[in-house]
Amino acid sequence: MLELKDLTFTAPEDDGAPARTIIDHVSYRFEKGLFYAVTGPNGSGKTTLAKLVMGILPAESGKILLDGTDITEFSISERSRAGIAYGFQNSARFKGTTFRDLLSIAAGTDDEEKLVRIIARVGICSLDFLDKPVDAKLSGGEIKKIELATVIARNPRVAIYDEPDTGIDLWTIEPMVDLLKREQESFGTTTIVVSHNKTFLEAADRLLLIKGGKIAYEGALPEADSLLADLSACNYTTICEGEDNAGCYR
Amino acid sequence: MLDAIDKELLRSVADLEGIPKGAYNIRKNGKLLGREVSANIEIDAHPDQEGIVVRIAPGTVNESVHIPVILSQAGLHDVVYNTFIVGEGADVTIVAGCGIHCGGSKSEGHEGIHEFRVEKNARVRYVEKHVAIGPGKGKRILNPTTRVFMAENALAEMELTQLGGVDEAHRVNEATLSAGSSLMISERVMTEDDQTASSENRLFLEGDGSRANMVSRSVLKGTSRQDLKVNLVAKARCFGHIECDAILMDRAVNKTLPALEALHPDAELTHEASIGKIADDQLMKLMSLGLDYDEAVNRIIQAFLK
Repeated sequence: MLELKDLTFTAPEDDGAPARTIIDHVSYRFEKGLFYAVTGPNGSGKTTLAKLVMGILPAESGKILLDGTDITEFSISERSRAGIAYGFQNSARFKGTTFRDLLSIAAGTDDEEKLVRIIARVGICSLDFLDKPVDAKLSGGEIKKIELATVIARNPRVAIYDEPDTGIDLWTIEPMVDLLKREQESFGTTTIVVSHNKTFLEAADRLLLIKGGKIAYEGALPEADSLLADLSACNYTTICEGEDNAGCYR
Repeated sequence: MLDAIDKELLRSVADLEGIPKGAYNIRKNGKLLGREVSANIEIDAHPDQEGIVVRIAPGTVNESVHIPVILSQAGLHDVVYNTFIVGEGADVTIVAGCGIHCGGSKSEGHEGIHEFRVEKNARVRYVEKHVAIGPGKGKRILNPTTRVFMAENALAEMELTQLGGVDEAHRVNEATLSAGSSLMISERVMTEDDQTASSENRLFLEGDGSRANMVSRSVLKGTSRQDLKVNLVAKARCFGHIECDAILMDRAVNKTLPALEALHPDAELTHEASIGKIADDQLMKLMSLGLDYDEAVNRIIQAFLK
């Protein structure tokens, strides 16, 4: 379905830091309609891998195929139109742009009935929410709902979510996982979630553990327990504020 | 009679498809084209200078006045002094604006000096659009001045827009606010090519409980230049906020100077200002929704200036 062939990405020299290979000759085939969790230590290359698939970063070498079509040279817009959608970890904030504006672009219609049906899928019941400006005043939970809604509105063949639990309360993660599973099962969406969160990992049909720019493990979660326990120390304690029962593999 | 160009200009500056309903005063090439008054709204020639005096009776609600100006005469520089007296407790909308059609090599310009007296407990929404069109090479110049005097508990919302075609613009906004009054100024300016626009704003918060909020959004393309100065002077226990954002494109330049002056210990004044290109994360978000780069830029600018 979505196939990566010998994909490599090297970050260029930056401010004295030498060039570094982030994704190192990765080959993998994502099957249609499955739920994948991509995890790994901080800096292992999992977000870079997601950005390469969306075209946010250019591949240095290798190929990306979507249903047999070579999309390696496609722009972000072309990949979106080909059926890939991307939920950003840190959602863009605008001035003057409303949720309705974004959702209309994503859905390709400004028909309110259709927009309402989409927002109901992400659990937004208030019509007023449609006219909220997508600006810095939104809470973490609100902006995340907007991000999810715009991905879902694309009716994508492949939906990629980069750390979708960033900035939201721990107790809203479970409903988010339910939503992504529901979308996967109802529409056959190939779903790829980059996350450390145990709930996402447990929900996945397949787990990909990225380490040092390579796929260190692919398979079911239980078999990966020992590998996950070896992951580097958490650098995100500010997110869960050190809560003992945050339930993540870091 | 309105010709096709007049109709296009009226549509651009006042959203009018023809002669408006209710009170209006349409000025074309320095002369009166049409006027209508209503039971509550009087429009008379200004006693001292070229222009009009619009008197809105106390308690008038849900009425509007349209006073557009259209220019299509090469070499004409029209100057008018208009005074608006919004009576106590009234709640009205005033739609102004100037549209220039330049067909030749001579410059055309308009200077509208507008004075508002908003009486106690009155509310006014003032909408002013400036547009210039036409194939001519002459400069299109618009220099508006707006002076607002707000009585106790008055409220004014001013939407000032210039969205293209104007080669030179120098705007002055001044306001004096009495106790309990509120003023919201929203200014949207887009310049392109080698156009220049400047805006000087002096807002005096003189009464306890008065509030002023100025929001400026600018988009600059080509080699255009915009300068914005806002002075917020607090002389009482009051609240004032300035928000200025400019998007720079191509080789355009911008200078923004928000200034806060608290002359009272209980004044609360804030400002935020930003100048820069369109953020990459905004572009990527819209492109990830299927828009091309240029479509994404246009959408972001349209929403920013909305």
